[in-house]
This record gives sequence, C-alpha cells and structure tokens, in this order.
Amino acid sequence: MRKFIGLVGTNTTQSTNRQLLQFMKRHFEKQAELELIEVSGLPMFNKPQDMKVPERATEIAKKIDASDGVIISTPEYDHAVPAVLMNALEWLSYGIHPLLDKPVMIIGASFGSLGTSRAQAHLRQMLDSPEISARVMPSSEYLVGHVLEAFDDKGDLTDKDKVEQLDALFADFQQFVEISKELWHTVKVDKKEVQKLGKEDFN
Amino acid sequence: MKLVGIAGTVEDKSYNKILLQFIANNFSNLADIEILSIDDIPMFDQDNDQTESGAIQYLNRKISGADGVIIATPEHNHTITAALKSVIEWLSFKVHPFSNKPVMIVGASYYEQGSSRAQLNLRQILEAPGVNAIVFPGNEFLLANVKEAFDDNGRLKDEKTTAFLQTTLQKFLRFVKVINTMNQATGGHDDAAGSEDLNSKGKISTTIEGVDMAADDWVEKAAEKVNAVEGNTYVKLDRGILTVDQLNYFLNSMPIELTYADSNNQFIYYNKMTSTKKMLAPRRPGQVGDPLSLVHPKRAIQGVKSVIHALRTGKTDMVKMPVPGNGPDKYIMHFYKAMHDEKGEYVGINEFVLDIMPIIKWYLNKTGQKLAADPNAKVDANTGASSKDDEAADNSATDADTSASTHDEPEASTGDTDATTGASES
Repeated sequence: MRKFIGLVGTNTTQSTNRQLLQFMKRHFEKQAELELIEVSGLPMFNKPQDMKVPERATEIAKKIDASDGVIISTPEYDHAVPAVLMNALEWLSYGIHPLLDKPVMIIGASFGSLGTSRAQAHLRQMLDSPEISARVMPSSEYLVGHVLEAFDDKGDLTDKDKVEQLDALFADFQQFVEISKELWHTVKVDKKEVQKLGKEDFN
Repeated sequence: MKLVGIAGTVEDKSYNKILLQFIANNFSNLADIEILSIDDIPMFDQDNDQTESGAIQYLNRKISGADGVIIATPEHNHTITAALKSVIEWLSFKVHPFSNKPVMIVGASYYEQGSSRAQLNLRQILEAPGVNAIVFPGNEFLLANVKEAFDDNGRLKDEKTTAFLQTTLQKFLRFVKVINTMNQATGGHDDAAGSEDLNSKGKISTTIEGVDMAADDWVEKAAEKVNAVEGNTYVKLDRGILTVDQLNYFLNSMPIELTYADSNNQFIYYNKMTSTKKMLAPRRPGQVGDPLSLVHPKRAIQGVKSVIHALRTGKTDMVKMPVPGNGPDKYIMHFYKAMHDEKGEYVGINEFVLDIMPIIKWYLNKTGQKLAADPNAKVDANTGASSKDDEAADNSATDADTSASTHDEPEASTGDTDATTGASES
C-alpha cells in the first residue's frame, strides 16, 4: 500500500481543509495510507545566512521524503495561498528539497462558490518553481465550495457527485505516482541543479 | 505628499530594503517616504487575533495615514514571501488600511528577471476584495542583478535606472493624487476633520469627571478629585524616578514651551516656565483644563481640527508651523507632535514652541557663515503658507500672525515650509 502525506495548509483549528483530508484518510484507508501533517508552528522564514533549517521543517521533510506522494489542501486568503503554508514551503525548499520530483495533488475547500481556485493556481505556480520542482498532477483541480453544507455530522462529504469526483481523482493520482516513476530522466539533473541553488536564489 | 514604504522581507540583509531606502533618500524632494518595518509581525492566525497588538496597529496607523504605499518585494518560490503575505492577511482581517489606498510595487533581484512573478502575484493579492488596494498599473520596476547595482553608499550606480525610477515615482505621485481625489469625491476615504470635537464632550480613560473644565481652578479641583500626588512624592518614569517637585524643576527649565492636549482635545498641562506675558505662546494658569474650543478664536477652529485630525489618524506625525511677524531677530516655531501609548494608540498632542533664531545665529557664528537667500527657493519662507499638499494645510491658508495675536495657537499648516532644504516632516 502506498503511503501519502497530507499537508494541512492552514493554522485554523476549525478548518474544512483539514476536514477534507481527514475524510480522505478514512475514505481511502483500504487503498492507501494517508498521514496528516500540520504546517503551523514554524518560525517566520527569514533566509538565515547559515542556511540552518528548523528541526520541525527537517522532520516534515523526512516524512515527505519517505512518502510516495503529497496531497496539499489549501484554503484561500486574499486570492492566494495562506502565509502559513507559503512559509512552510519556503523552509522546505531552503537547503532541503523534499518535494523535488515528488508527485503532488492539490485540493481545497472554501465557504464561497469559487472554492479556492485562485489559491490552487498560486500553489501550482509555487510548486513549479526551481527551488521546489514538485511534479504536480496536471488537470486535476478539486474544489469544494459551500463547505458549511458539504460535510455531515460524521465529517463525510454529502454530495455524491463530489465523492465520485474525488474517487476518480484519487485513482488518477495513484496512477500519476506510478507514471512519475517513469519520468526518471530528469531526476538526476534536477537533483544536481537544486544542489546548486543557494541562499542567493532567494532575492 | 506622505508615502510609506514596505520591504516585503524579514531578512537582515536585503536588496529590497536597500532599494527602498535609496528611493526614500534620493527622492526626498518629491515625496516624504517613511519606511516601515514588518520584522515584528507574527504569522497570521485567525484563532489568535493579534490585530490590537502594537506591531500591527503601528502598520495600520501608518498605512491609513499615508497618501500612498510603495512595496518592494523579493521573490521566493515564484511568489512573495510568507512574511509579506502574513502582513497583508492581518491587514485584511479586522482592519483594512489598504482599502482604496494607491500602491506601487517595485522589486529587486539577483538575476535578469526575478521578482516579475512575485510582482504579478502581489498585484493579484492586493486587489483581492478584503485588501482592496488600488495598484498602480503598468510601470513595472524590476531591478535585476542587484549585487552590482548599488555602490557602497547604497546608491544606484546607473544613472539611466535612477532616471527611470524617478519618472516612475513621479507618475505614481500623480496617480496617488488622482485616486485620492476620487476617494474624496466618493467619500471612500477617512472621516473629515469635522468630526473632531473641540468641546471635549467625550470621555477617555484619563478624563477627570465632575469638575468644570472651564473653571480657573480646574487644576486644584481635579487634583483633589483624583488625589493627585505632589511635592516630594516619588513617581516612576520611563526611564527614571523623580519626585513631583523634581519633575517640575525639570520641565519648567526646558528651553521650550510645552503643552499637553489629550486625545479628548482637552488642554491639561503646560510647563509654567515664565509669566504669561513673557511666553512666546502665552498661556494663563486658569486656562488649564479647558476644552480646546475655549482656547482658540472661532475662525481658527477649522485649522485646529485639521491638525488634530491629521495627527490622530496618522496622516502625519508632526505638524510644524512658523509664526511670522516678529521681526528678523525672532523665528518662532510651533510644533505639534502626535503622542502614542505602548500599543501605538493616539493619546494626544505634545505642542512645543520655541524661537529657533538664537540657535541659527549661534550656529552661524560658530561656523563663520551667514544666511543668504536661495534664488531657487520655491517657498516663501516668510509666510510659511505656500506649497501645500494635503487637507490639513488647505483648510488653514489663513494668516498665522493675526491668530497668534488673538490667542495662543496660530492656525494650522502642515510644515511643508522646509521643502527648500529637503528635510522631512517628522
């Protein structure tokens, strides 16, 4: 069984994005193992000259390294990814590069009807930067809007169509993880390139 | 024109900080640009609302009071820093200082095109409904290869780049004027100065109630009411310990006249350094306690309100005003400085009055120089009533000397008279 990491892209206790990942963990427990990781609690990224990364970031990096893929759930603040998730990604691409060539799937839940579409596009752009260089699953936007009505008391998604869509996406993601293994030609080059990146690559 | 500048980073050493500092220094003749630090802003967390903290209120106040904002952004992971994003999240949560505020984006990078994506991204974030800034369109300023761009003094080496930056800034300043005119027309800006209550009908935590503010013995009555300490009782200060007597010796020997007006617009203190007659801005002992409306002639009220409002809202930190008409041997200045508590809340005005002529003369004498008229001067230094940018000044274009003769405080004018020297207001 594959092992995935679910990054909770928020520091809010009552978050439907955490709820969405928790639902996935239960819903897909027979198909894969999904471990949820919180991204809060890291200090504000300040590009330390000694390139020392906080221990918590190293721990997260180790878990991501050991996983087959990462699912990131992001809310949307001011048409973009929340600072707390951006901060985690900054630490996770400064001297350490756990997301390099790692298969990633992006999901997001929101109160409104647009359901984090802009934040997801923003996250995709970040994950595509040379410092991160993750392999984000293409054509796979999964948005849950109107979240207040989306989950029942047990925390299950109520909309059958939404569940069906998620099932399909998850199946595709499993496939995508497999396909990504075939994309090994660039891995070596990517690793070499990313090692060259130093503190100067952050302006 | 008052702008604030924010470098979107919390690093110690940042080329974006250097770029912003250069803009502020090099173009001080075009605009007064105050640089704000975001170093102490915590990570945004809606479960732990810190909007009321000093660091966030400081930014809120400074941005609210500015005519426009310049943001210099680095680029991390194809986007802006988490530190800058966190600041914007705080400032679009419970308070919204960016709302309708003109903003210019610039950025410096190590390579050819860095910060272009971050700038686009920042634009999108600033235009989100909760932030609602009005971002200056076009005129993208990207400074590439920054390591070679500055000399040892933090000045841009390339004259063409500096010229381009100047053109961009000048366009932005016009944009600021247009946007702020539009805001005023639609009422989208802050409250007018008219809301200032000079009759002090309100109440703040330090207001002493139940005593007639206008009474000549307000000080005695109010002191009795709150059991005010006096004489050889010690009071602990930031930083030191003095007795009340010592505090009086100290304040009364200041070579400047000090007046305290609290945030309820009540005149509650002056340092009684000399007799009323000898004071540059005469105060009578019986006036202490008066609401500000009682110590100003009616026609000065509008100007006074504008000054107080500008200080209260953070539009400016200090208003400077010369009082002409005292001959060549005197140059009396009134300074109105906003006071703030530990949290950055406005708590009143520190007005200080002094004659700066003896200082100027002393300096000239000691350095063997003399005064000469500047043929290029734009401002008529004798009246101190020209070249005004903002509301506070516009309302006060009356003659300061006549009001001074009627009563204590001459009317308002923000201190743009120092434009010829390039000094800033605060």
